[in-house]
Amino acid sequence: MTATLTRPTPAPAARPAPAPALRQRRRRLRADLLVVLAWASAAIALALYLGTGLLDLSTPAGTLTSFGIATGLVGSDLVLVMLVLAARIPALDRTVGHDRAMAAHRRLGKPAFYLLLGHGILLTLGYALADGHNVVAETVMLLGSEDMPLAYLSLGLFVAVIVTSLVVVHRKLPYEAWHVVHLLSYAAVLGALPHQLSQGAVLSHGPQRVYWIALYLVAFGAIVLFRVLRPLVASMRHGITVERVERIAHDAVSVHLTGRDLRRLNAQGGQFFFWRFWAPGTWWHAHPISLSSAPTDRHARITIRELGRGTRALAELAPGTPVSFSGPFGLFTAATRSHRKISVLAAGIGVTPVMSLLERIDAAPGDVTVLVRASHDDDLYLWDELQEWGDRHGMRVYRSVGPRAGGANGWLSRPDVSRGVTTASVFPDVAASDVYICGPDGWADAAETAVRRQGATEIHRERFDW
Amino acid sequence: MSARAIVGGILTSGAILGIATGVGVAAHPSVSVGVGTTGTIGTGASSGSSSGSSGSGSTSGSSGSGADGSYTGQSVNTPFGSVQVQVTVSGGKIADVTALHLTDADGRSRQISDYAAPILHDEVLSAQSANVQMVGGATYTSEGYLMSLQSALDQAGL
Repeated sequence: MTATLTRPTPAPAARPAPAPALRQRRRRLRADLLVVLAWASAAIALALYLGTGLLDLSTPAGTLTSFGIATGLVGSDLVLVMLVLAARIPALDRTVGHDRAMAAHRRLGKPAFYLLLGHGILLTLGYALADGHNVVAETVMLLGSEDMPLAYLSLGLFVAVIVTSLVVVHRKLPYEAWHVVHLLSYAAVLGALPHQLSQGAVLSHGPQRVYWIALYLVAFGAIVLFRVLRPLVASMRHGITVERVERIAHDAVSVHLTGRDLRRLNAQGGQFFFWRFWAPGTWWHAHPISLSSAPTDRHARITIRELGRGTRALAELAPGTPVSFSGPFGLFTAATRSHRKISVLAAGIGVTPVMSLLERIDAAPGDVTVLVRASHDDDLYLWDELQEWGDRHGMRVYRSVGPRAGGANGWLSRPDVSRGVTTASVFPDVAASDVYICGPDGWADAAETAVRRQGATEIHRERFDW
Repeated sequence: MSARAIVGGILTSGAILGIATGVGVAAHPSVSVGVGTTGTIGTGASSGSSSGSSGSGSTSGSSGSGADGSYTGQSVNTPFGSVQVQVTVSGGKIADVTALHLTDADGRSRQISDYAAPILHDEVLSAQSANVQMVGGATYTSEGYLMSLQSALDQAGL
């Protein structure tokens, strides 16, 4: 373990206004209001249906049909909420962070799908009971109705999207395969739209039709605006190309980028972009990669660990390769800070956003403590650079290398824990500091638990599992 | 997601649904005779014409028994579209009922109409009145159909 403490701690600098803690409270309030809004959108959908008085619970057929309509309404609403969460809306990112928005997106996937499946099953049963048909005859009849074949196709696509996103399956699939199937969800949502407007006894007329068309416009409008138009305009404006690719470890490279007016991206240290490199084999999907150095007007740097086929291709990018992007994203920045002191815990390639975060952080010598965790010395990416930066700016920079320790300090290495190193000995002031954690999920969970046990409350995490 | 957000979401949704349930119960949609629509007596053996909304069919025959001809019932509004039927009277009896317009606001309504209309048609012909059972699962269509039929029969004096 290497400790570096160069300068004594001076008095704390005056705080900028408004007080950071207040700013964070307001941000959390806005985040909570967004959650309430999502709930309300589903409640309004149900309310407009109830308000028509068409709810019929007097007969078994009516009850099945009513529940079938209700599940369809709530399921569709959830799907649209999922689209909004995945639309990369800058205001949403500043409020909850892209990673948490996507975590919510993932959590809604299965409930939305089950509701839509229930919608199909309940309505088929309800109609069959009302018409005195069997389920097969009713299904054949439904398939023969206007816009219904497309609706069944959509349900099939949703099955494919959900199955490929199940954790077990997702892990086994190459990212690229998952990505292509996931893009089909747009087709699934759009394919389901015609039958809602023509077949639904609910959406074919009246105020509900207006409400739903508005919801669709908001969701798809956000997708088109923030996932297509805005990145296109920004990419053209900044004209970013690959300058060179630098190998920094046996399994990691830094890609140096050059472009125009990069300061005006307003990217903060610790943020990431979705980068699309226009080279054969890799142009068709974007990679979420953190800045590993705060951008200057002409230069930016990202650092990638080669995990799969997609990232390996990036190591072979030729200088001059055009790059388009969307971003910046993420709350792993000084903007969400509320204390003077800062504790940083990074593991493996998680050090990259930490490097750009530290380059931009406004902290007095002695206020910043960093610990980098790695299994081997080979995995200490950017270590020399980080150590030098820490030396120059009075940051304590530690490393903890070796196999994982067990027990309460499991986020540290076994050799360090057996020497008596603990969370409290590395970060004595962790309860009164902002804690930034970036690394693989399992490790980051252990690290978060450890610092919370020491009383830390302001915890900022960047998740790496999108 | 914080507990505050979840509690807020649940309370807000509960309030919205509570209000809607109240409105829904109050709204209780029903079938009603269309405003400003008049059923007119079609061509036939009967002389003259009359306003359908009054339900007074003017016939040349004796009161109580309908004159031959076609009588168009009132257009009846339902939440799923309007319903209007025409009755053909021959020899003082209901010879046929033709649906001029049936519930058609959406795919399911059209499906229900297609299935309920023939049943209602046959029931009416055998009962020789609008006093027949409604078709299960087709309440609005049945109510509209029979209400429009009754107004046509009133015109015919049956």
